[in-house]
Amino acid sequence: MTTAGPDQVRSARRAQLSIRLVDVVGRLAAGTTTLVPVESPAEVEVVDTWCRGTGNSVLAVHPDAVEVYRGRLSDLDSILPPDRMPGRRLWLYTNFHCNLACDYCCVSSSPKADPRVLGVDSVAALVTEAGEAGATELFLTGGEPLMHPAIAEVVAICTTAAPTVMLTNAMLFRGARLRALDSMPREALTLQVSLDSATPDLHDRHRGAGTWARAVEGIRTAREMGFTVRIAMTVASRAGGEEVEVERFAATLGIRPGQLVVRHIAKEGEATQGIVLTRATLVPEVCATADGIWWHPVGATDEAMRVSADLLPLRPTIEAIREEYLGYRRRGDVLAASFPCA
Amino acid sequence: MAALVVGAVAYTANVVPIWEGIREYFADSSAPMDFVLYSNYERQVDALLAGHVDVAWNTNLAYLRTVGLTGGTCRALAQRDTDVTFKTVLVAREGSGLHGLESVRGQRLALGSKDSGQARILPIKFLADAGISLDDVRPVIFDSDVGKHGDTGRSELDALQAVLGDEADVAALGITTWQQLKQAGELGVEEVWTSPDYCHCNFTALASLDDDRAEAWTSHLLAMDWDVPEHRRILELEGLTRWVRPQLEGYRSLEEAMREQAIPLTW
Repeated sequence: MTTAGPDQVRSARRAQLSIRLVDVVGRLAAGTTTLVPVESPAEVEVVDTWCRGTGNSVLAVHPDAVEVYRGRLSDLDSILPPDRMPGRRLWLYTNFHCNLACDYCCVSSSPKADPRVLGVDSVAALVTEAGEAGATELFLTGGEPLMHPAIAEVVAICTTAAPTVMLTNAMLFRGARLRALDSMPREALTLQVSLDSATPDLHDRHRGAGTWARAVEGIRTAREMGFTVRIAMTVASRAGGEEVEVERFAATLGIRPGQLVVRHIAKEGEATQGIVLTRATLVPEVCATADGIWWHPVGATDEAMRVSADLLPLRPTIEAIREEYLGYRRRGDVLAASFPCA
Repeated sequence: MAALVVGAVAYTANVVPIWEGIREYFADSSAPMDFVLYSNYERQVDALLAGHVDVAWNTNLAYLRTVGLTGGTCRALAQRDTDVTFKTVLVAREGSGLHGLESVRGQRLALGSKDSGQARILPIKFLADAGISLDDVRPVIFDSDVGKHGDTGRSELDALQAVLGDEADVAALGITTWQQLKQAGELGVEEVWTSPDYCHCNFTALASLDDDRAEAWTSHLLAMDWDVPEHRRILELEGLTRWVRPQLEGYRSLEEAMREQAIPLTW
C-alpha cells in the first residue's frame, strides 16, 4: 500500500473543493450566497481563483469558510454616479469654533468649542493629494470658516486647485473678515449660506434670536460683492413644504433657482433627534479635520465615523473608504435578495 | 405583434433571472416574447409539438427527438457560441498512464445519466467508433437528474467523484463541466481523450412558425452584445459570449448515436 504524498493530498483536496464549488455554486440562484468550508489560506485562494474564472465572487472570508456570491458583484462605478464617488469631493473642517451655537449642530460647534484649526500646510497637502486622487470639488466648513485665522490663504489654496464651496452663516462680514472675504476669488468660489426658513421664526429658534436677519443681510452683502451664493436649509422634515417658501424668498435675494440645498437634521453632535446615520447607511464624502479623516462631514466628531487618525497619506484612506462602502452595498444587495417578506 | 412564447427547462434557479432578462431585452423590440418553464425536456418537447410554445430552448437530445417526432420538419433558429464547439472529455487520475481511447479498454468507465449526450450517449458512441463496446469496459453508471439531459452536470460530478474515490478509472465529462472544475487549479486529474466538436443546445421551432416572426426574433437575439453590461449579465449566466446561427452538421454524431443505441424518441 502506498501513502499519498503532500502534493497528491493537496490536489485531491482541491479536486473535492472544485467539485463542491461546481455543484453548490452552480445550483445557487444568482445574487445569493453560500458558505464553502475551507481548511487553510491556500484553500481560500483556490476558491477565489475558481470564482474569478467562473464569473462568481468571494463576498467574505470567514475563519473556516468562504462566502461565495453567485455572479459578479457590482463595483462602485455601477452603484454611484461619478460625481458621488468617494474622493471626488473633499470636505475640510477648517476649524470647529463658531460665533453661533445651533441646537442641531452635527459637530457641536460654538464660541466655546475647541477651535481645532486645520493648518494651512495641512490644507495644502490634503488638497494636493486629493487632486491626485481625483477630487474635483472642495468644500470648506466648520465651525464658521471665517473664524479661521488664515481663511483667505486657505481659500486661495483651494480655489487654485478646484471649484470650492465655503459654508458660512454670513454673519461675520465686517472688519478684517470682510476684507478677507473681499480678497477671495469670485470665479472658483461659491458661498453656501445657512438659512433654515423664509421668515425669522424657525431659523432663530435653532440658531439664536436675530440670526435670520443678519444672515439675510450677509447674503445681500456677498451678492453685492459679486459672489455666487447658494442657500442651505436644515430641516427636521420636508413634510411642511418650507423649502418652497425658502426658494421663493431666495429668489428675492437674487439667488438663482436650484441654488438651494436641503439637509435633514442628523442625530449627531448637539442634535438629540434626527436621522440616525452609520457608515453602512451613508454614502461617504471624504472629510478632513485636524483630528483625522472621517467618513462624512455630518459625523466629523462621531468616533464611529473616523476612518483614520492620520491626515496623510490621503489616497490609501480614500481607497479604504471606497472598499468599505462597496462592502456595505454588496452586503446590502445580498440581504435584499435573501430577505423576501412572503 | 403577439408575444412569441419560448419554453425552457428550469434546471437551476438561475433559469428565472436568465429568461426574465431575455424577456426584458425583447420587450421593446419588434418581436416581444414571453417564456414558460418546464421541469424536464420531455414535457417541453410535448409542449412544442402541442403548440403550447412557439420555440423551445432544447438540448441536443431534445432537438433530435423533435426532429424525429416531426419527421424532420422542425427547424433550429439559433445556438450559443459554446454550443457549436461542445466536446466530451474522458479524464483519469494523474499518473494513471491512460492516454487515448484505446487505453480505456478494460477500465472502469464512469458514465453519466442515460439522457446526457455529453456524459453517456456520445462517449459510448465515440468508443464504439473506435471499436470498443460497452462489453469491453466496466461501466459505472450514474443516472442522476434524468429529464434534464445532463444540464445540471450532477452525473458528471458523480462520475469524477468515483474516479477520485477509486471506484472508477475514467470519467466522461462535458467540456463545460471540465472547464469549470479546472478553474480551481491542479486537480490531480488529467485528460485521457477529448472528442471532436459536436453541437449542444438550440432554439427549436416547428415549421408552422411564421418565417418573418422567427427571423425578427432570431435577429434580435443575435444582436445581444457581450459589451453591454445588461446583456453580459444574462449571457454569462447562460454560458455564452454570443448567439450564433445553427450549425446542424454538429448534430450528426448524436443522431447516429441515438440510432445505434436505439435511444427512444420519447420516454
